[in-house]
Amino acid sequence: MKHLVTSILTLFLALVALPIVVVTNAQAEPLRIIIDDGVIEPLPFAVPDFVAENAEASEYAAKIARVVAADLSGTGLFREISKDAFISTVTSFDSPVQYADWKAINAQALIVGAVNVSGNKVTVKFRLFDVFSGAPLGEGLQFGGTTTSWRRMAHKVADAAYSRITGEGAYFDSRVVFVSETGPKNDRKKRLAIMDYDGAGVQYLTDSQSLVLAPRFSPTGDRVLYTSYETGFPKIYVLDVASVGRQALADQPGTMTFAPRFSPNGQTVVYSLSSGGNTDIYRMEIGGGAPVRLTSEPSIETAPSFSPDGKQIVFESDRSGNQQLYIMPANGGAAQRISFGSGRYGTPVWSPRGDLVAFTKQNKGRFHIGVMRLDGSEERLLTASFLDEGPSWSPNGRVIMFMRESAGAGGAVSLYSVDISGRNLRPVPAEGGASDPSWSPLLK
Amino acid sequence: MDSGPLISGIGHGALLAWALIGGLFSRAPEDTFEVSEVSIISAEEFAALSTPQPSPDVEVNIPTPPQPEIEDTPPETPVVETPPEVQQPPVEETPPPAEEAPEVVETPPPATEVEDTPPETPLPPAQDNPVVLAPPAEIATPRPAPRVAPTPVVAPPPDTEVAEDVVEEASPDADTQAQNEPDEATAPEEATDVIVTEADEPPSSAPTSSARPSARPKRPTPPVETADSSTSDAINAALADVQAEDNAAPATTAPTGPPLSFGEKDALRVAVSNCWAVDVGGTSSRVTVVVGVSLDREGKVIKGSLQLIGSEGGDDAAVAVAFRNARSAIIRCQKGGYKLPIEKYSHWREIEMTFNPEKMRIK
Repeated sequence: MKHLVTSILTLFLALVALPIVVVTNAQAEPLRIIIDDGVIEPLPFAVPDFVAENAEASEYAAKIARVVAADLSGTGLFREISKDAFISTVTSFDSPVQYADWKAINAQALIVGAVNVSGNKVTVKFRLFDVFSGAPLGEGLQFGGTTTSWRRMAHKVADAAYSRITGEGAYFDSRVVFVSETGPKNDRKKRLAIMDYDGAGVQYLTDSQSLVLAPRFSPTGDRVLYTSYETGFPKIYVLDVASVGRQALADQPGTMTFAPRFSPNGQTVVYSLSSGGNTDIYRMEIGGGAPVRLTSEPSIETAPSFSPDGKQIVFESDRSGNQQLYIMPANGGAAQRISFGSGRYGTPVWSPRGDLVAFTKQNKGRFHIGVMRLDGSEERLLTASFLDEGPSWSPNGRVIMFMRESAGAGGAVSLYSVDISGRNLRPVPAEGGASDPSWSPLLK
Repeated sequence: MDSGPLISGIGHGALLAWALIGGLFSRAPEDTFEVSEVSIISAEEFAALSTPQPSPDVEVNIPTPPQPEIEDTPPETPVVETPPEVQQPPVEETPPPAEEAPEVVETPPPATEVEDTPPETPLPPAQDNPVVLAPPAEIATPRPAPRVAPTPVVAPPPDTEVAEDVVEEASPDADTQAQNEPDEATAPEEATDVIVTEADEPPSSAPTSSARPSARPKRPTPPVETADSSTSDAINAALADVQAEDNAAPATTAPTGPPLSFGEKDALRVAVSNCWAVDVGGTSSRVTVVVGVSLDREGKVIKGSLQLIGSEGGDDAAVAVAFRNARSAIIRCQKGGYKLPIEKYSHWREIEMTFNPEKMRIK
């Protein structure tokens, strides 16, 4: 009986008291919400003209601010707010930021800078502010250079701002080597040229006496590999960008060498060699030495590209009867096919991030630039046109530059860039026709 | 002397005297009748009065009224020398009505229709003729837009202000003549719901996986009955447990109403989502962050309450960017305060928001 009474009382207390406990516990827990559907839109930012700290600097203050804004806006990730909307004016680099004014025009990031010119020396300093948190985003930075390098300093400012906002590396202070093309389609004159990533400052590295193809930057950006037909057969050369001096790389009589590319450490070159009607992939030390054959197939193996760690090579081959992409160890060996879609895949390039391979795809009469995972999954075609070819990664692995040729007898070649999300497809300004781009690493 | 019969006799006598003298048996006055005079008529006069009256004549052929003459030319509109004030806003400044914008086409692009050039943008109506409507969009492909949002929004006419709070245009109406300044139409920012690449095989926007539902909260552990526990011990133990729980929870967190409904939670989720910008190609798009925030009774973020509670994926830099984007979304979209029921404040004072960009990456 006593046991029964105990049980009843305990049960009563449990029924009465426990709900109170449960409700109390529920109150201690915060409201939880899962947000998995956002928006994709450019981040609005403001770049007032940089403050000119002396009269000589006034010329550069506005120009540098414009280049910074153009760099950021050109990514498609940022949207510049027009100066007409500004409420505050920045008259001093050290004046306090009126966050409310910038917040009122929905600026999420604010870049304030100042320029000082002394002789031919230029000093550029800037600060980046997170408007909605009301605090600087990182510390201020200062760059020094000459008046002729003001664009590079502007790119440096944009690089720093981009990295702080996105958390990733940038690519504005970089260059592109490409093949400049002039003349009609059946009589094209081709020569190597180099320019800033945004098309400014074009310089020519070779003349147009002989056909040149497929220039490729070294990992340090000071040398360029390319293929020249000046002997009548394709042959690989190494060109020093500073001195424009060059030398032949692999001189193997009776063979044709092409499609070269540096290893990540810059000491090795991997390329294609065609001999006796067969094309395979070889590697050679840049300083000389015997070439090492990496593939031995009766099919055509070409367009090799190292992985960022230098341990693997992705290349194209028609060993399956159709042109597809394969990955093999850097020293050769068994290759694994990674592309399985319809159409033909070629010109693979390993991403600097190491997680994607960019390629050219030909399918149903159209060309595409696309990316896929290393196992061939998540293939995404980013472009489509009459002829797209030759992808090249930006230093941060975020943007792909490629060549586009229009249809017709007078088809023009030009350079385009596209974000790896498939957005922000835009032409890259260059003088005349341009093809075969190769993006340099970030300049030092 | 026996006084009883005497008293009785006196009483009865008095009663009889009152009955006789007081008029108990007198007659009530008779009611008066109203009398009216009547006249006497003869039988002939009555017959003449009761004879039915003949019906009116029915005329069958009713003449058709003459039709008004129809003139070939419309009547002249009287010329108004001075237009009425505020009846008609200036034509040049009047944006076309928002409802006349081309319809949003959500159909995915056909696989073989990808062109080198982006799809044509529907032309806005001419500035000097607001009657001309924008041609309806006949393109089945989604329009490329700088903003990719869950809900597509067609591009507003060029003169229409883009605002966060959409305002319908005030139409000229005779009933609104007293209105001094007509509202100009505003529109939400243009958006599409997919990333339109140039390729003919755009990535599918369908999610490949869904967020795992949160785990069910643990059930309260029932009190363990021990065979040898006494009645008083068990009661004391149960009371002690309840007391301990009460002490642990502050009195201010006591519930003041039912929890938020699904709709109320979803409204909050949508409000924050509209400001959560995801860089789908960036490393931060691979980071899930949990952000804690405290709101005041007006639904505004309490300063300094935003904090990163946890993260999954990515390196420190990516986590920092993901947290900053989440924080920015919460702050920007609060505007005047999140619209939450004040009577349930205790339920939404503390919020943990999980920002998971997994679905966004494959859009």
